[in-house]
Amino acid sequence: MVSQHGIKLAVHLISSYFGDVVSKVCECLLRRGTLTLAQIVRFTELRKQNVINSLLVLGQHNCVQAFAIQQEGGFGEAPKIITQYIVLFDNIIHHMRFPKFVTIVSEELGKECEELFEGLLQHGRLSVNQLVDRHKQMSNQSVGLCTTLDALQGSFNRLVNARYVERCPAHEPFLAPPGDDETPAKKRGAKSAKRKQDSLELNGDAWATNKNKEVLWRVNFEEFVRRLRHKECIRNVRARLDNGAGVVLSAILEATRSEETKMKMENSVPLSMNTIFEEVMKSEEGRSMTLEHVRAILDQLGCDIPVVAIDETYSIDLKNIIGMAQNQEVESIVLKKYGREAYRMFRLLSKAGRLVETDQISNTTFVEKKDAVKILYQLWNDDYLQMENVITHGARQSQFLLWKVNNSTLWVQVLDDMFHAALNLKLRIAYEQEQEKEIMQIPREKLVGELEKRYKRFRKRRIVLESSLMKLDDALMLFHDF
Amino acid sequence: MLKMQIFCALLVVFREHLGNTLLVLLLMFTLIGMSKRKRPETSSLAQSLVDAERVILKLIKSRENVGLWKGDIKSETRLPENVVTKALTSLQSKRLIKGVLSFQFKNRKHFIAAEFEPSKEVTGGSWYVDGNLDKHFISSLKELCFKIIQKHRVITGEGVHDFIKRVKATTVECTSQQISEILKSMVLDNQIIEVKSTGLAEYHSIPLGKVCYRCAPVGAVAQDTGAGAMASIPCGVCPRIRQCTPDGKISPSSCIYFKKWLDFDF
Repeated sequence: MVSQHGIKLAVHLISSYFGDVVSKVCECLLRRGTLTLAQIVRFTELRKQNVINSLLVLGQHNCVQAFAIQQEGGFGEAPKIITQYIVLFDNIIHHMRFPKFVTIVSEELGKECEELFEGLLQHGRLSVNQLVDRHKQMSNQSVGLCTTLDALQGSFNRLVNARYVERCPAHEPFLAPPGDDETPAKKRGAKSAKRKQDSLELNGDAWATNKNKEVLWRVNFEEFVRRLRHKECIRNVRARLDNGAGVVLSAILEATRSEETKMKMENSVPLSMNTIFEEVMKSEEGRSMTLEHVRAILDQLGCDIPVVAIDETYSIDLKNIIGMAQNQEVESIVLKKYGREAYRMFRLLSKAGRLVETDQISNTTFVEKKDAVKILYQLWNDDYLQMENVITHGARQSQFLLWKVNNSTLWVQVLDDMFHAALNLKLRIAYEQEQEKEIMQIPREKLVGELEKRYKRFRKRRIVLESSLMKLDDALMLFHDF
Repeated sequence: MLKMQIFCALLVVFREHLGNTLLVLLLMFTLIGMSKRKRPETSSLAQSLVDAERVILKLIKSRENVGLWKGDIKSETRLPENVVTKALTSLQSKRLIKGVLSFQFKNRKHFIAAEFEPSKEVTGGSWYVDGNLDKHFISSLKELCFKIIQKHRVITGEGVHDFIKRVKATTVECTSQQISEILKSMVLDNQIIEVKSTGLAEYHSIPLGKVCYRCAPVGAVAQDTGAGAMASIPCGVCPRIRQCTPDGKISPSSCIYFKKWLDFDF
């Protein structure tokens, strides 16, 4: 279930990239779910051809996936095959973080891979030949960019081996109806059907091809999300514990990346102590660490270290690290918005994970009771806390107020607020650009005096807004993707 | 009773020396004088006050170290306000009861029998003075504990308490329970973090698994500015976020908080 502001942000992104007509079709799918072409035409009130073109654009850019299903016919009619369209919300939001993906490729694989990769981001899906053609066009325009075909193929293979690109699934996979003997594990939705060959049926074609029957390739967003998740875990552990802990965790995750069976792994793939130590030694920072130090760090990271280890393997609780990072983000909001006393009380309740009575909160956090009640009410009013009123009947009737942080509902609200804030930042960037569009058209050397000041002010605002958006996007991923 | 006995004895003596006539006259004058003289212990108001004091004192004693405030005393004894007030004043002057300000209800005084120490329920405990949280004392203790932890890098709660005792760092004696409460509050403030000893490296002097404390890393959320992504932008802490829409009265383009945040001078 996508939140309201998540939908608004997605629609805004599509509108920025592809225009209002395409965004209207996208919004229809986001709000109404999986639809047929006829339904989209009816709901959007657009001309059929416009809808078809929009769906083609969205499909090209992996924002929508078409799939065919069998629909039971009416009385006396044979079942028929119909095509439906499902929007891929996550892929739309990924458009906002393309610069991060480019940075990862550039840092890990180099400039040539970066250039190929940018082509896939720009065009959504391309064949290898199309990538080569694009490179040729660009090297005609830019001196020094020319690379041999072999080198290009090599760069492309590196992208594939790193799992940063993948083959596109068939344009319109057929999802067979579940049989009586099928287990739930075998039933697949359109989203997961796109990866596994054995669930696809379309004239034997498993992969999408262009008109020249060449296999199309696209960015494998899941791999980037995995990398960014690892980065966040390492960053959090480094900040919370120390640099050494970051080095050890980084070594473990780097060694086991290709063995992870899903993106949101709860625990890292188990490794033996010797393997961990060998991996740590590979990095410059890890070379000076002793085995004892590594053991101590693993203990700090929550591993049970036996006194005598025989064939023991160790695994890090990544879900716990992500949980702590999420708590930190929300706590910082509470601190800034409601003050230090509210921060202390919120952290107490967050750690307790249960209902706590007002007096106990007030005593433990050293907040005067009347102030504590006021702050707790404020947090409750803004949906940060749940409250329960308990009345006891004894010799005298007593009333107790109990408070609790409910992570599951609060996290949903925080995520929606983040989508809202991201949309606001993007709208403000657009507003600032609109305000200064005349300045941007003046050649740089002619910007003097007041004009120069205006230009500098605009530039600084844009930097602040865009860097804030990237930082906010890290937090968005923390709550939505990790 | 004693006075009556003395009076009777005197009558016998006077009868022997003054004769009956004079005795009758003496008796008459004595009786006239007695009827005019005030006898507090026998007036109804005085009696009722003494009774009220007895009842109230008994009630207060029954509540041991919690006591009661005036409102509860009135409702339980069903005595008039002025009687209760006078009785309480009298009992206090006789040092049979004492008044303690309630930390929960600032305008209430709890009356506790003199032989009891007021409970934490009334006083708020060792952190309260005259019903108010002793914030200065608490913040001083926190500062002291932080410096001790900083100096030792990692230390247990008992270690902090022992250090304070040893160097006599405070003018008032602090119990280990108090230090523990202070440290817990500092953990909630993210000034320090609670860890378990690994017995290795800097933990070598601390038994394995024992809870100890170290300073939170620099950059941990302990500043008022907030280190989180949402807390760094106006929208993240905006009180009007729910009313904000792209084209509404409150919008990203018209937002005064954005304007202030992006106000750069060159």
